[in-house]
Amino acid sequence: MAHLLTLIVILPLLGFLLNGLLGNRLGKAFVSAVGCGLPLLAFAAAVTAFQSLQAGGAPLLDIAFRWALVGDYAFEITFYFDRLSAVMTLIVTGVGSLIHVYSTGYMKDDASYARYFAYLNLFLFFMLLLVLGRSLLVLFVGWEGVGLASYLLIGFWFEDPEKARAGKKAFITNRIGDAGFLLGMFVIYSTLGTLEMDRINAAFMGPELPAVSASLIGILLFIGATGKSAQIPLHVWLPDAMAGPTPVSALIHAATMVTAGVYLVARLSGVYLHAPEASEVIAVIGVLTAFFAATIAVVQTDIKKVLAYSTISQLGFMFLALGVGAYGVAVFHLYTHAFFKACLFLGAGSVIHAMGGEQDVRKMGGLARKIPWTFGTFAVATAAIAGLPPLAGFFSKDEILWFAYASEAGGSPWLWALASFTALLTAFYMFRLLWLTFFGQPRMDQHTAQHVHESPPSMTGVLVVLAILSAVGGFLSIPHFLEGQLPLPAVDEHLHHLETPLIVTSVVIALAGLAGAAFFFGGDASRAARVRERFPGLHRLLSGKYYVDELYQAVIGRPLVWISDRIFLRLGDRAIIDGTLHGLTGLARFTAGLLGRVQTGSLHLYAWLVLAGIFACLAWSWGHV
Amino acid sequence: MMEQVLLWFFALAALAGGVLMLVLRHPMRVALALISTMLSLAGIYAMLGVHVIAVFQVLIYVGAVMVFMVYAIMLLDVRDPSFTRRYSAYLLPGLAGLAVLAFAFVHAIRGSLPAVEAPAAGGNFNVQQFSVAFLNDYWLYFELTSVLLLAAVVAAIAILKARRGNNG
Amino acid sequence: MDSTQLLLVLSTALFALGLTGVIVRRNLLVMLMCMELMLNGVILSLVTLSQQAASTTGAVLVFLVFVVAAAEIAIAVPIVLLLARRKHTLDGDAFTDLRG
Repeated sequence: MAHLLTLIVILPLLGFLLNGLLGNRLGKAFVSAVGCGLPLLAFAAAVTAFQSLQAGGAPLLDIAFRWALVGDYAFEITFYFDRLSAVMTLIVTGVGSLIHVYSTGYMKDDASYARYFAYLNLFLFFMLLLVLGRSLLVLFVGWEGVGLASYLLIGFWFEDPEKARAGKKAFITNRIGDAGFLLGMFVIYSTLGTLEMDRINAAFMGPELPAVSASLIGILLFIGATGKSAQIPLHVWLPDAMAGPTPVSALIHAATMVTAGVYLVARLSGVYLHAPEASEVIAVIGVLTAFFAATIAVVQTDIKKVLAYSTISQLGFMFLALGVGAYGVAVFHLYTHAFFKACLFLGAGSVIHAMGGEQDVRKMGGLARKIPWTFGTFAVATAAIAGLPPLAGFFSKDEILWFAYASEAGGSPWLWALASFTALLTAFYMFRLLWLTFFGQPRMDQHTAQHVHESPPSMTGVLVVLAILSAVGGFLSIPHFLEGQLPLPAVDEHLHHLETPLIVTSVVIALAGLAGAAFFFGGDASRAARVRERFPGLHRLLSGKYYVDELYQAVIGRPLVWISDRIFLRLGDRAIIDGTLHGLTGLARFTAGLLGRVQTGSLHLYAWLVLAGIFACLAWSWGHV
Repeated sequence: MMEQVLLWFFALAALAGGVLMLVLRHPMRVALALISTMLSLAGIYAMLGVHVIAVFQVLIYVGAVMVFMVYAIMLLDVRDPSFTRRYSAYLLPGLAGLAVLAFAFVHAIRGSLPAVEAPAAGGNFNVQQFSVAFLNDYWLYFELTSVLLLAAVVAAIAILKARRGNNG
Repeated sequence: MDSTQLLLVLSTALFALGLTGVIVRRNLLVMLMCMELMLNGVILSLVTLSQQAASTTGAVLVFLVFVVAAAEIAIAVPIVLLLARRKHTLDGDAFTDLRG
């Protein structure tokens, strides 16, 4: 299989073309078969590639296409399969395939079934391009492509203007980050003369450092990552992106696409190892994002919004790990997060499905007995994200907290303290969500209550698989697996004795979150209501998501509208451009009116003018010839 | 000497025809004046020795064009103001223009052309030379004129058809 | 005044008379004939000068001008016929529909 990697990438594209071009004619069975079958084949191909990687040891290379030759440098579409790519590819194709299967149940009655699967396959294609590309350029094509697929899927129900708006918001916010990404690429190409990521790393790891600030490159690329991975200050699009179908939220806005920023930083770890300033910025942004998103999640009432802020928060954890040099640990958390967050989102989708479209947790409650499979899997995933041992989230989060404290590449007690507090909040809001949704008295109306039903096996089956992975995924030590490529940072010798106490602390924190949620939201949740009444200002601030959207609207949006309206539209377009044209047409009309007087229609006058012309020619010729 | 007298005679006849064209009222008389001018010009051409052109002048102009014109005049026997009031509003400017232009022409000719005796008044020019020149050097233009004539015929038919279509 | 000058003066005089006729006469057919007069004046100058230069080209050109004149009159007369049908007049001043 010479072109195995190309095959992995091409299969979803084939699915996109088949479903997009023929799907509407060939029926749902065909669409489902193509839409789920080709990603599963891609997964199988990825497993095969992984086996040959394990057997051979060296990264696999697959030159698919030579795109352009500029000077001595060839821009090639080359696929590169090392251990990091392998982890990402397996997550993308594996979780992606599961979500495709789940979608066959969830989207069963949608009118645009074929379009949905076409977009989903298109997303997988671009995502695989992103994780398999050797060159930053290929990665960037995938990066933009997943943005496109995300836009299409957020606005999938584009008849609703609110949802179409959410799609545009995601796209535009990402463009800001992409500007930074592009600038970073320009700097890299102009100084290093290559865009192949392994060569960039090698250039920075070599004996002679390149004559460019690694922090500059690092910060520019990180700006791109903040857009894609929804970090402060570009996090505003992700909660709105929940307007798309729930499986899309699970696949794109939780498990895969939003982790592209984490992948990018981990992939260019060679640069960031020499960019302590950039790493510090990443760590601080990461921990702040984690903290603020978690506080917002505590008061949200929309089940998907809670999960969206939880995603932003968990991505913040990953960036914290990247910022302290623990790249393998970040990928580890990415990997466990993909399982439990996909499981949570799909579980939420199952709940919404059962409730007939209702997303407000204040109108749920008491669902545990009615939809037991969903409840069971949701509970496992909640425990996993909260960090209860021995579930997957415990291992990855615990390692992040440990390196945030002890790493010599930027770890510090206050990072650990804030991250730990965030972990407490995480456990708290996740169990709150669990309680409000599944326990207590049913709060929905009679009609909805009668129609609550468990989802079909295509959905619950996927939930069970993901719940099992969330439970046991943590035993596969990704940091160890990746250590040859992404070495873990050195740890201060004096701090080794703290490792066990810190683990105990994080377990205690998770249990405290559980207990707190049970305390405040157990029964009729009256204690929570009392707290809310005690601190109305704080509650308003958190419900309003710190008013970041309003701030952007006031600082950026409205001045932009004002400038566009006053300067570009009224002055530039209407006054100057239109005015010039109107002036010109007016002048033409005026002169035409003057010249039109000559057109009297009298042949005699015309002939007389001919005579005058002849005389004028003669008179001129006397003077000049 | 005889030739010179004849030349002057034809020239004056042609000029008289031209002047008559301006003053005669009825179009038919104008046409006859024009015919006399053309015949006088044919005489001048014959005296210059270009018999071919003299013959063409009579055949094409007098024989074809003017006959066509006369038919049109007889067909359109419209008694309208253009008969009773023969001059337009531009009579005086037109006459003034005529005077100025005639002065300018005469002045130009007398001023710029030195008096040279026409070298070939006897004519070293005959039908044979003309035909050879036509068929050797100017055959393409000759063919093109036939195309032009054909186009004119088609156009004339099209115009008359269009009128019929509008009326019907 | 020698014969060349005489003929050139005659040709310009015919041309000027024809042009003046187009200006001063009302009747469309008369205007058309005055244009023929102008053309005759031009042809006379062409013949005179080509004869002076002793070239066949001038004669060929004259022949071509004859053909063009015939074609012109073949188009012009039907147009005048059409105009007369439309307005029932041959007055040149009646056709001012395109006045600016």
